Amino acid sequence: MASNTKSAILAQHRANDDLNTPLLSQVARADSDLAADGMRSPLAERIIAAASAALEDGQTHYVDVPGIGPLRAAVADYLKVSSGANYRQGNIVITAGLQESRFLSIQMIGEQYDSIALPAVVHPGVRKALGVRSRNPRTMPVDPARGYLPSIDAIAETASDGCRLFYLESPSRLSGAAFTAGEVAAISQILADKDAALIWDQGLAPWVDGAYASPAALDSDCARVAAIGEAYSGMGLASWFVGYIAAPEAWVPALQSQKQIMAICTSTASQYAALEADQLYSEARTRQLSLLGGLRADLLSAASQAGLRVVKGGAVNLIALQLSADNMNRLRRVGIDFAAGRLFGAPDLVRLNVNHSTAAALAALS
Amino acid sequence: MSQKKKSGTSLLYQLIGEARGYDDAIIMGRGDPDFDTPPHIVAAAKEAMIHHHNDYSPPQGLLPLRQAIAERVKRVNNIDVDPESEVVVTNGGQEALFLMVLAVTSPGDEMIVPEPNYNTYADSLAFAGGVKVEVQTYAETDFRADPGVVRQLITDKTRSLLLVSPNNPAASVISPSDMREMLDIAIERDLMILADDIYDLFVYDDFQHVSPASLPGGKERALTLNALSKSYSMTGWRLGWIVGPADLMARVAELKAAISGGTSVISQYAGIAALTGPQDAVEMMAEAYRKRRRMVLDALDEMGMQYGMPQGGQFVFADIGFTGLDSAEVAQRMLTEQHVLAYPGSAFSKDRKDYLRMTFLQPEDQLLEGLERMKVVMDNIMAEKK
Repeated sequence: MASNTKSAILAQHRANDDLNTPLLSQVARADSDLAADGMRSPLAERIIAAASAALEDGQTHYVDVPGIGPLRAAVADYLKVSSGANYRQGNIVITAGLQESRFLSIQMIGEQYDSIALPAVVHPGVRKALGVRSRNPRTMPVDPARGYLPSIDAIAETASDGCRLFYLESPSRLSGAAFTAGEVAAISQILADKDAALIWDQGLAPWVDGAYASPAALDSDCARVAAIGEAYSGMGLASWFVGYIAAPEAWVPALQSQKQIMAICTSTASQYAALEADQLYSEARTRQLSLLGGLRADLLSAASQAGLRVVKGGAVNLIALQLSADNMNRLRRVGIDFAAGRLFGAPDLVRLNVNHSTAAALAALS
Repeated sequence: MSQKKKSGTSLLYQLIGEARGYDDAIIMGRGDPDFDTPPHIVAAAKEAMIHHHNDYSPPQGLLPLRQAIAERVKRVNNIDVDPESEVVVTNGGQEALFLMVLAVTSPGDEMIVPEPNYNTYADSLAFAGGVKVEVQTYAETDFRADPGVVRQLITDKTRSLLLVSPNNPAASVISPSDMREMLDIAIERDLMILADDIYDLFVYDDFQHVSPASLPGGKERALTLNALSKSYSMTGWRLGWIVGPADLMARVAELKAAISGGTSVISQYAGIAALTGPQDAVEMMAEAYRKRRRMVLDALDEMGMQYGMPQGGQFVFADIGFTGLDSAEVAQRMLTEQHVLAYPGSAFSKDRKDYLRMTFLQPEDQLLEGLERMKVVMDNIMAEKK
């Protein structure tokens, strides 16, 4: 017998465009897959050994909701060293990956505010997280000349209109463009002037070659900025789903409580693997930055020769191009998977991950 | 906030935190089996770290795991599902529970929930903006949820019926005839069913577990959750699932993608090994729980506690009303005076201040020691009462 109740649930579901936003895969499926959020990376034997040892030692049970203490401390230390943020262990919640970080921060920090301001171009996971329970999103225009980041004026205007919670990506998940130190200082000033708060997706920060500016570093008493990201990207852990939220202490109880409701804790094997990755990260990241930086420089040169328009960006792990529909189809025809800009809100862009297969994609366009 | 004002999850946090401060604490509250994960499952995880650490997994999970889950729910629960479209892998039973509630609940919708119950159902329902409508159950009738009462509680806002069997914390099992009647009510009144089967392998004496989705007319309106946490001692791996009709499962898959994106592939490969490998460890653990349950019941009898006979699960929900004290106070005294942690009933429901939940998930020697210590506290309380 047909169920009207079920039909009503399904109709509501079909009408929820945000929830039905396609999500990009967490790791590339093949070398020709240049669309994924995470890169395929080798996994160090030491990480395998550490995770295995933890499991053999009986670390197969529930652990603390916000994560194992040593990993929370390691993430706090990493954020201090890499961006000057003042977070401590008590500020950190370990999550089951970046999307859980997005969902928890948007939903639980969002509960404290009337609305949340988003850039018009943002990772589709943000809209998807809002599709579960809307938090009254407001859209800020972006500046194509600044890699599709919102301008400081747009942020200030939104704050002046009364919106007191912002969600920003730096680097942008589409273009790789990051806010400069001057822009970050201006954003921090807006937050202070308007008593506003910020969810700051800095997951791509490890791929910025050079100084990285974080508003968390200017938030001296850790009161306004929650930083989120995937833990130790590039270390072969993309499919292990480990992320973090570094949040003001006043926000942690709500995040922790909702994490308990949603999942109790994050996989112990993933956490012990991430803990070991922390030990190796500095050296491994330096190596990868150099490798990816070299590859990207070659790609920029090839793109220039092919007359392709590259979007201004700073992260070395991706390249964003402005392409015609014909050129997008050419990529599809040669079997190159790319992240479509329309998923982010910029239909004429594509995002390609930087690896040894990216040159083939550009060759198909030349 | 004062200690007495705490309730639900926050009360449990406080007690767990305090228990950590005692080197000799015996934890008889948390639902975490004392057994470590069986070695062949750990070995499969190590193998996956070497060969599959970069594998892509769609949000609904690796197909081989979904196939293993489909075989399991057919074998154990008699539910037919298509692994391609009717299974979603989750971060443990907890995420499955959250997703299931979100999948069928819009703000203002009512869900009928037998009480007492696992407090996360209320928390998830609150997140979704739903309204909990309680069906009270009682120790003297072994916490049976009466279908006649369910029928009376249905309004034009009722959208779903939660059926947890065996129940946590009450340990009651819904009989086959009651389950059929519950499903008939759901069909007549066009309700969705949320079935929590997480303790389906732990049913005692002659009681029988039935999944509503296995009954004629059940599958198309039921979402059924389960997990490997309890049956394979895999609480730290965070691996569970939901099965249900393809149309609803498409919604569940979108919600899963929105909330966490996916599930660790290492845990998923471990899950394949658990479901398709040797099952001796599951049988060994089930046998151990049977024996321990008897030990707990004997000790409670000695203490003069009333309880609903635990027909399944890993708990006993005992009535301490004869002490004249609130269960939060009794639990606090057990912890402070004897370093034994039992969960107060008020953590599960505001109406269950007369109950304590105890698990039998400790090694036998610790369990006996814990019960001895509890008896000391209960004797003290009764002596003070005189």
